[in-house]
Amino acid sequence: MKKLFITCIMGLTLLVPFFSPVSAGELGNQLAKESVVEKIQRDKVIRVGMSTFVPWAMKDKHGKLVGFEIDVARQLAKDMGVEVEFVPTAWSGIIPALMTGKFDVIIGGMGITPERNLKVNFTMPYDYSGMSMVAHRKKAEGFSTLDDFNNKDVNIAVRMGTTAEQAARKFFPHANLRLFENESQALQELNLGRVHAVVSSAPMPVFHALKYPDKLFVPLKENFTKEPIGFAIRKGDPDALNYFNNWIVNMHASGFLKEKKAYWFESTEWEDLVK
Amino acid sequence: MRHRQHMIAAGVFFLVLVLVGIAGYRNLSYNWQWYRVAQYFFFFEQGRFVPGVLLQGVWVTLKISGISLVLSLIIGLVSAFARLSPYVSLRGLAWCYVETIRNTPLLIQIFVIYFVISPVLDLSAFSSAVIALSLFEGAYSSEIIRSGIVNIPRGQWEAAQSIGLPVSVIYLKVIIPQMLRQTLPMLAGQSVSLIKDSALVSTISIYDLTMQGQKIVSETFLTFEIWFVVALCYLSITATLSFIIRQIENRIRFVH
Amino acid sequence: MSSKPAIRLTLVDLAVLLAAAAGVVLFFVRMTQVLEYQWEWQAIPGYFMFRDPETGRFSANMLLKGFGVTLKLSIWSMVLGFILGTFSGIMGAKGGFFGRMVSRFYVETIRNIPSLVLVILFYYFVSSQFLDALGLDQWVRRLPDPAARGVSFFLAGAGQINAFVSAACALAIYEGAYISEIVRGGINGVSKGQWEAAWSMGLSQAQTFRLVVLPQAFRRTAFPLAGQFISTIKDSAIVSVISVQELTFQGLELMAATFLTFEIWITITLLYFLLTFSLSRTISFFEKRLAIRQ
Repeated sequence: MKKLFITCIMGLTLLVPFFSPVSAGELGNQLAKESVVEKIQRDKVIRVGMSTFVPWAMKDKHGKLVGFEIDVARQLAKDMGVEVEFVPTAWSGIIPALMTGKFDVIIGGMGITPERNLKVNFTMPYDYSGMSMVAHRKKAEGFSTLDDFNNKDVNIAVRMGTTAEQAARKFFPHANLRLFENESQALQELNLGRVHAVVSSAPMPVFHALKYPDKLFVPLKENFTKEPIGFAIRKGDPDALNYFNNWIVNMHASGFLKEKKAYWFESTEWEDLVK
Repeated sequence: MRHRQHMIAAGVFFLVLVLVGIAGYRNLSYNWQWYRVAQYFFFFEQGRFVPGVLLQGVWVTLKISGISLVLSLIIGLVSAFARLSPYVSLRGLAWCYVETIRNTPLLIQIFVIYFVISPVLDLSAFSSAVIALSLFEGAYSSEIIRSGIVNIPRGQWEAAQSIGLPVSVIYLKVIIPQMLRQTLPMLAGQSVSLIKDSALVSTISIYDLTMQGQKIVSETFLTFEIWFVVALCYLSITATLSFIIRQIENRIRFVH
Repeated sequence: MSSKPAIRLTLVDLAVLLAAAAGVVLFFVRMTQVLEYQWEWQAIPGYFMFRDPETGRFSANMLLKGFGVTLKLSIWSMVLGFILGTFSGIMGAKGGFFGRMVSRFYVETIRNIPSLVLVILFYYFVSSQFLDALGLDQWVRRLPDPAARGVSFFLAGAGQINAFVSAACALAIYEGAYISEIVRGGINGVSKGQWEAAWSMGLSQAQTFRLVVLPQAFRRTAFPLAGQFISTIKDSAIVSVISVQELTFQGLELMAATFLTFEIWITITLLYFLLTFSLSRTISFFEKRLAIRQ
């Protein structure tokens, strides 16, 4: 009986830290100590949340991660003098995963949107992207404007939780959206001719159309949105925001970002790495 | 004394569980917005009841599970008789079917049927989902039904044959009714599994309860509210079903 | 109803087999014609193993690695689920009123929620409260090299360990509910006479349980538990949704890069099938042998 009570009390004391209030006095000091930048240096590792987006981040034929985002994150880790660790995460759950501390920062081609910004903080943009579209030659024959696709008989496949989903909702409110957890499944639907088009961040749709020229085509020559891409971090961390912002400024200045962008987005040299 | 000790232990257990829950709830740097959840169930537009997306999802889940249940029973019955048939080819085919299904994950079966088989046969996502689920549950029903038939005493056969009944009548009037009475509780249990397993069809973009939940989460980031509510929805559907099944079982037992 | 008809091919058999074969052939012909699908089977072996161009040694590629993770994950969740399920099962069979209630509450809740929803809830809510507070990944990172390699061999590397452990725990909680019922049934299946006989010999309640009931219950539950392990392997495919790098996840990743959809899905199905089928055959072999001996 006595033993039981001791166990109970011990169990309850374990819960005390959860309820203890934060002292307001040394708030600034404490913020600096609790910053992600501080934690990264203490652990000697930066944990980066990402998900497969060709060619932003993907596995090469030996299972190693490659891509634009991967290069950016590797460079960031090198400049901080720490190791980099990639945490692949389902895209539809990547923001909750950041909020619950599964990793330190999202470097995954994440578009800066007001909705997301209510939940997480974004750095300044290190890249700009836009929505583009690839369509099935037979199914979407003669389609050449956005309005052609905004029809209740049109099926459009997108990846769940992406800005492509939002753009598709906004530009094609009458079309049927088919949502998939992975981009490859959406593209598979298109290749099989079960949807009219796939909406996704440039340059992937163009690359995909180039791969299957007799089946697919790019109906719109221009991207129909333009969106800034930033790192996402948890709220309430001014130090990390400042650090990452200035790192991005530096990388813009040194031409690193431009060079990487040219390699991954404007050429297809990297395709030999993958297949 | 022993009883009181148990009571205290269990009381403490629940207390700790609740405290941990509350601690988790408060400690998480998460902004709970339960007030945003209700509109996904239903709302009123100009005084008219409009079902929200979650309720629509519940309907799709029930529809898929219902159709698949009927189909899976038919498939199960046919393949059980095929496995007991005198033809080696039928036995072999039914065996292949049951073993393939029972030895691969349902998720993989759904993907294979949707991405490999259905484009060739030109099936829609909904029918792919129904086929995948009914083939999956059918394999398990088949085993239940088969054991139900095998367990019917030989004497029943012999008695039926000795009074000169043709084989078809023996099956319809003697074997199947007895088999059903024996296996009904287990087959009813399968229907609960079916509702749970139907959550996996969300991966091929069927707008069932899970998919609607996922969609809301990816739009509004109400992660925990929605997932708790979705779990609760499944819990109440399956619990209600289990309750009804138990009532029917009790009644059947009472009659015999 | 004959118990075991002799194997004899009749005309009906031939017709059925021919029809089945024709169906399969027609399917593949249609597949190649309608979809204009280019088969590239020669690419698949490279995704199991490849020769590292730098060191010249063979190393495991994505599919083999994923297969390993599936195995590790199933074994860990089975071990944890066994502990949890045994505990809950004993409580459900022999505990007091509240013990039974706790056990029932656990079993009924878990068995009425889809595993997919459970895994997602556990990953985002429970694991962020407890696993991350434990700081497992930091602990792994601080380990000296041989120990760290051991951990990454038996569990997962530092980058994956949080997701791996929460997946293993979620699966363990899920399977534990089923194991609990198996164990409870096993204990309840031991007849009352056994208890009475043991008491009359002067054994205490705990001794009776440990020496008389548990060994018998274990014999009753061994095969259902082995069957549950096979279910665990199959259920583990679900954790691909929280990006644990097991077989299904690796297949999805591979498809994103190569678009070899059909080859990859067929390969992965075969891998699961070979694993679980060989296990289930082994189990039923031992089951039959034991049945003969008894």
